[in-house]
Amino acid sequence: MTSSGRMRAIVVLGALVAALAVAFVAGAAFGAVPVAPAEVVRALARALRGLALSPEQAVIMELRMPRVLLAALVGACLAGAGVLYQALFRNALADPYILGVSSGAGLGAALALAIGGLGTISLFAVPVSAFLGAMATIVVVAAIATRRRVMDTLSLLLAGVAVSYTLSALTSFVLVVRREQMSRIVFWMMGGLQAATWQQVAIVAGMLAVGLAVPLFFTRELNIILLGDERAGELGVDVERFKRIVLAAASLLVSAAVSVSGLIGFVGLMTPHMARLVLGPDHRLLLPASVLSGAVVMVLADLVARVVLAPVELPVGIVTALAGGPVFVWLLLRSRTGRA
Amino acid sequence: MSATLRYREASVGYDAPVVLGATLEVLPGEIVGLIGPNGAGKTTLVRSVTGEARVMAGEVLVAGRDVASYRRIELARLVGVLPQTVPAPFSFAARQFVEMGRHARMSRFGGLGSADHAAVARAMLLTDTTALADVPVDTLSGGDLQRLTLAQALSQEPQVLLLDEPTSHLDLNHRLQVLDVVRGLADDGMAVLAVFHDLDMAARYADRLAVVADGRLFEADTPDAVLTSRMLSDVFGVRAVIGADPVTGTVQVLPVVRTQERAPSRGVRVLVVSGSGAGAGLLRRLVVAGFDVEAGALARGDTDEKVATSLDVPFVPLPPYGSMRAQDESAVRDTASHADAIVVCAAPFGPANLGNLRAVARFASRTVLLGTLAAEEDFAHGEALRLWSALQRGGALQCEDVRSITACVEEVASR
Repeated sequence: MTSSGRMRAIVVLGALVAALAVAFVAGAAFGAVPVAPAEVVRALARALRGLALSPEQAVIMELRMPRVLLAALVGACLAGAGVLYQALFRNALADPYILGVSSGAGLGAALALAIGGLGTISLFAVPVSAFLGAMATIVVVAAIATRRRVMDTLSLLLAGVAVSYTLSALTSFVLVVRREQMSRIVFWMMGGLQAATWQQVAIVAGMLAVGLAVPLFFTRELNIILLGDERAGELGVDVERFKRIVLAAASLLVSAAVSVSGLIGFVGLMTPHMARLVLGPDHRLLLPASVLSGAVVMVLADLVARVVLAPVELPVGIVTALAGGPVFVWLLLRSRTGRA
Repeated sequence: MSATLRYREASVGYDAPVVLGATLEVLPGEIVGLIGPNGAGKTTLVRSVTGEARVMAGEVLVAGRDVASYRRIELARLVGVLPQTVPAPFSFAARQFVEMGRHARMSRFGGLGSADHAAVARAMLLTDTTALADVPVDTLSGGDLQRLTLAQALSQEPQVLLLDEPTSHLDLNHRLQVLDVVRGLADDGMAVLAVFHDLDMAARYADRLAVVADGRLFEADTPDAVLTSRMLSDVFGVRAVIGADPVTGTVQVLPVVRTQERAPSRGVRVLVVSGSGAGAGLLRRLVVAGFDVEAGALARGDTDEKVATSLDVPFVPLPPYGSMRAQDESAVRDTASHADAIVVCAAPFGPANLGNLRAVARFASRTVLLGTLAAEEDFAHGEALRLWSALQRGGALQCEDVRSITACVEEVASR
């Protein structure tokens, strides 16, 4: 990066961090019972210093904060996974769910809800089962697409489609068999952050740290791989190893997000895409900027989901899809007439 | 700091071998060109060095080590590649694109150091791409992108350079510029293996050429020894005139006709009287049309003589600048007497070749006169004009346009 490029990166990332901070405070302040933004900051400050909290501050810290943080983490994970998949497939319109993760997680969650059914077990069983479903799907898809130790990206896509359909059919089967659980399962799939806890925040934060730290060391390869596997190899990239690393990191990110939030569409597709349009394709900036943008977008989307029909909450997946779908169409039309 | 590229009895391919038992050595300081028809395996040979094609038997060695034993990053420090096409679907700035070539020489942590910046700047200067530095690569022309890709490869600071049709997208100026750069790099000790489709450029810039055809890599030799009309006919299925580049003196290939373009024989014998290149196009046309063509007396070095030779058209040979002797004239007359048709071109006639006209003088009824003989082309003091008009009076068929020559020849042959 040239020095002017580095300046630009610092400015962009600084602005996004500031935006995220504002979104945090707004997300915690607004809701069924609005509180003053200053009160949010005060509650945070007191909590950090370990001081006793007022009942209102306790509500902020125990209910609002985990939710806002989880929203940010989920958005960051989805956007991060989106960037990685888009690089892996050399396609700016690739989606984190492209390999059937959504179907795998959906089946996992549906099974947990269908079997567990009652009580507190499902509180942990659902995310764990969804996570395992997501990871298992990617492992199977990657295994199908690998031949002679070479993972072919087109096969990966096709295998993802095939596996995804199969798993969706199984999920439908579960839905039919356990009709009494149907509404809970469907509601989970719509995506939401209602059940956010500090514990979930900690777990997802850990996965985000791992799933993001690794690719951050590989941003140069992420750029080079856009020239094609063959050229990347000629320039010294161990393409197969790199693809596995990226796939593993992206899958960890998307599985972590899906396990706690259900299926939230378009954040992982749109955010990196928009970031690329504005910032260009250099992953040294694109990856961190997309992750931060994803967090901001998700916090705001969750805020909208909570306040638009208050006191009734919308699943946040509806908000992101309603906003993201038309934007995606607009991008498609735009890329057909000019450059994407 | 110099490495040799060596193929040792190497069979390379993908699922099945494409080239079998290839043996070739590319030494530091030389450019070796690979030539051959499409699909023969030239690119496969190149790609086997970087592991994109498999080495199924034998060895491919860089600096004495089997390429399979290198880690990708180690190999990228030794071998630079300019592939046939490089996709550039994302809008990286050209300079960033070239900087990607430094990947193999940078540490995982940290950015470009001063050595990296220097190598990138040098590579862009050499390839005349410095001015493009800030242009997004997805807006560049194919030629600019090809030169940038070469810059990317050069920024690797390789010791072995593999070029797959390095000038396919380039205009004439940049073609020479890029090959001059490559020549310079070779002279400084780089080992260069290049796939060429342009045989003249191959002859001009390569020290040795090796033919790839029929699943084999033939032994490399100097361009003069490799670029023969026999090789061109056998390997490319093209009859060609092998000449000398008037500027560099290197071999120059002028394709005349594709072998399979020849129509089946019509069983009609045609004698062509021409010279000084007046009959070159005619000879090609008649041979392609399936006539059994013979030529009159032609001097060595004459354009018509070269074309006749490349087409296997028999003729009566004359020494360079030599004159027709009595026996040459009677040889032509003999051919004329057996020919079903005779085509006489409006070529320059002088004492040296006037015998051709005399030899066909009494076969006017079987003769086609192509074009009109101008007075200034008669260097035989009016004798050529006199013989020409005698043929006209004797009933020769006048043909003004070479495109209708087939019909004219058929007409006089059926008289």
